[in-house]
Amino acid sequence: MWKSKVWNLTLLSTILRRRPTLLSISHFQSNSTSHFPPTISRTSYFDFLGNPNFPGKTFCSESAEKSHVHVRCWSCGNVANGSLFLFCDSCRSIQPLDQSVDYFQIFGLERKYDIGVENLEGKYKDWQKKLHPDLVHSKSEKERGFAAEQSARVIDAYCTLSKPLLRAIYIMRLEGVDVDEEETLSDPELLSEILEIREAVEEAADSQELNQIQSQMQEKLDHWSSSFANAFQCRKFEEALNSIRRMTYYHRVNEEIVKKL
Amino acid sequence: MAEPAYTVASDSETTGEDKSSSAFPEIAIGIDVGTSKCSVAVWNGSEVELLKNTRNQKMMRSYVTFKDDIPSGGVSNQLSHEHEMLSGAAIFNMKRLIGRVDTDPVVHSSKSLPFLVQTLDIGVRPFIAALVNNVWRSTTPEEVLAIFLVELKAMAEVQLKRPIRNVVLTIPVSFSRFQVTRIERACAMAGLHVLRLMPEPTAVALLYAQQQQQAVNENIGGASEKIALILNMGAGYCDVAVAATAGGVSQIKALAGSTVGGEDILQNMMRHLLPDSEILFSNHGINEIKSMGLLRVATQDAIYKLSSQTSVQIDVDLGNELKICKVVDREEFEEVNRKVFEKCESLIIQCLHDAKVETKDVADIIAVGGCSYIPKIRNLVMSICKRQELYKGMNPLEAAVCGAALEGAVASGISDPFGSLDLLTIQVTPLAIGIRVEENNFVPIIPRNTTMPTRKELAFTTVRDNQTEVLIVVYEGEGEKVGKNHLLGYFKIMGIPPAPKGLPEINVCMDIDASNVLRVLAGVVLPGSRHPAIPVMEVRMPTVDDGHGWCAEALDRTYGSALDLVTVQKKI
Ligand SMILES: [Zn+2]
Repeated sequence: MWKSKVWNLTLLSTILRRRPTLLSISHFQSNSTSHFPPTISRTSYFDFLGNPNFPGKTFCSESAEKSHVHVRCWSCGNVANGSLFLFCDSCRSIQPLDQSVDYFQIFGLERKYDIGVENLEGKYKDWQKKLHPDLVHSKSEKERGFAAEQSARVIDAYCTLSKPLLRAIYIMRLEGVDVDEEETLSDPELLSEILEIREAVEEAADSQELNQIQSQMQEKLDHWSSSFANAFQCRKFEEALNSIRRMTYYHRVNEEIVKKL
Repeated sequence: MAEPAYTVASDSETTGEDKSSSAFPEIAIGIDVGTSKCSVAVWNGSEVELLKNTRNQKMMRSYVTFKDDIPSGGVSNQLSHEHEMLSGAAIFNMKRLIGRVDTDPVVHSSKSLPFLVQTLDIGVRPFIAALVNNVWRSTTPEEVLAIFLVELKAMAEVQLKRPIRNVVLTIPVSFSRFQVTRIERACAMAGLHVLRLMPEPTAVALLYAQQQQQAVNENIGGASEKIALILNMGAGYCDVAVAATAGGVSQIKALAGSTVGGEDILQNMMRHLLPDSEILFSNHGINEIKSMGLLRVATQDAIYKLSSQTSVQIDVDLGNELKICKVVDREEFEEVNRKVFEKCESLIIQCLHDAKVETKDVADIIAVGGCSYIPKIRNLVMSICKRQELYKGMNPLEAAVCGAALEGAVASGISDPFGSLDLLTIQVTPLAIGIRVEENNFVPIIPRNTTMPTRKELAFTTVRDNQTEVLIVVYEGEGEKVGKNHLLGYFKIMGIPPAPKGLPEINVCMDIDASNVLRVLAGVVLPGSRHPAIPVMEVRMPTVDDGHGWCAEALDRTYGSALDLVTVQKKI
């Protein structure tokens, strides 16, 4: 069952700390006797830092390599053409959640880091028009449940792919490389750099100064983002992990600046 | 008229879930209950149509008068004179009062209204009463709203020649989930089922999405995404939304709202014209009520005129040897209401900031609601967005109800051959939801402007060695201290295995499902274990009732900080 896999995944938001335990509340929800459609059974993770740009629930436990056999629509029996099957084109029924379809497939994208983010929003809206629970009010409870799950997953997919750092971590996981977000910072050089930047943020006199630091961080983020892209493409995963680590810290500085602005 | 008798169900009845939703496509009607005016609209098969009452009005005054034995509302009732509404017999502004306790400043500012709003300042619901034959007859905002909704329902049923059950209602952005339950209660009392509650500017956003979609279909505009800034300011509330629209889908990017509106402007002006007015009117004698009514009408009239002229002459005899004779110009008016306008500005700026949208990327600026006629409001929204003009495609007073009617049709599963109902709004949470931690700090678990449905989780821990219980107190709002936020409910986790402080991991998960139901789940895990140490608690919120204002205080008195918890600290 997916649950056993969940424990192997780690939290983005716990980069700074090791937390071996994780309670997946989704599991308990599925036993609930409520008459509402089964709510989103995503795997959910905590977000220790309360950091809004790190949706803690972003990563799913799909086994990406699973080859996709032809699936029949549960409602009309139509066989899907192609592997992507959230929605039946012939009877417009929403299909049950299929974890083997990854986020890139949802957006009809090749699995690579460099994607055109500007096209995501349109595709995201197209999906929501087909899957959003608000639009299936008159359908059966079963299908409304599918809609809630699928729609939530498309939201997650959109949030993940549209943010470089989350996208980087996600694509690594699809490659089977676990990003250890719980590790303590061991690189003294990076540690002192981060401490220095934080101090600068702390002591910034006005918003102009903060904006300046912010644009520096953005430059660094862009730099490490392209380093990641290169490393990932060459399958140099150690280097890729290093880039992710950097991006995480610079991103967090940016978050702090936003809070202060 | 021999119409069926409509009765209001008991206030103690809880809102029941309607299970008969799927049978036939009954089109839900859209209702915009404003603080001062109200309207109803419905999809008529090809477009949205506003319903009119027997006096041919589309906009009806939101009030209920208790003149006779049977209360009657602004839908059916014909006021013989404006002053009748201000005689103490009529209750209005219920949208400002509903779901608030008597320590709320908004309730306090309502004490200068002609009917009775009495506060004991202890955190219970205020005492509200109408003057009927020299008797103060008590009522509640829910009851008043229910009576009003019954009239609206009857009006719609006569016109549409079918029973009405399902409604889409617009609500202010700043409404707490507790206030929402009071609105639902009022609807249930009136025999209405709330299919959807829409924050007002998001209803406007849906109408905008439809208009853009139509323009695309008619090849007028491009199909690309358009960002709109929407300001909706009525008598009671000021709300702002940033929405990104494409292909009939309106994704709300951010919401911001506050209890500031035309009523505040009116009261500021009344105070300006008669500095002691509040003290003067506080005892609610018959003569004082009359004077207050006269002043209110004269001030309202002056504000209205100042939208089109630069100065206005106010000449009113309030009786009791009180006369007001004064010329007020627009500059003075703007100075008197400076704080109101500043608040609007800060809401717009905050909303743009939260949406991460630059003003240059805003395609259209939409200003709706009664206050959108005030030149200062129009100017400030244009100047923030650095534009010369506002969006012209909407009637400012009808935009919200039209959006609600569209949503009603969409949510009822109605489709339109021309694609006019090919629409969707993707909503976000208007307020952060979180819990209380050490030292009365508020920690958001679901931040504001999170796309719904959603589920978020955070880890907490104990503050004492061998602490076996923690109190989970759930709040909604933006304040850093819980005191500034709305209490939604609380429960205790018991039986935590004894352990040094900071060791037990208390995970609190919040889930908002597709029906906008909030559930709070809490579980305890000890290090080295993968399984919850005790059964997980699952609580549907809100759980508080009307006396909730003093709950937080009572909890504090009883438990102090003994059952506190704390966020798991981040380290470098
Ligand atoms: Zn099918």
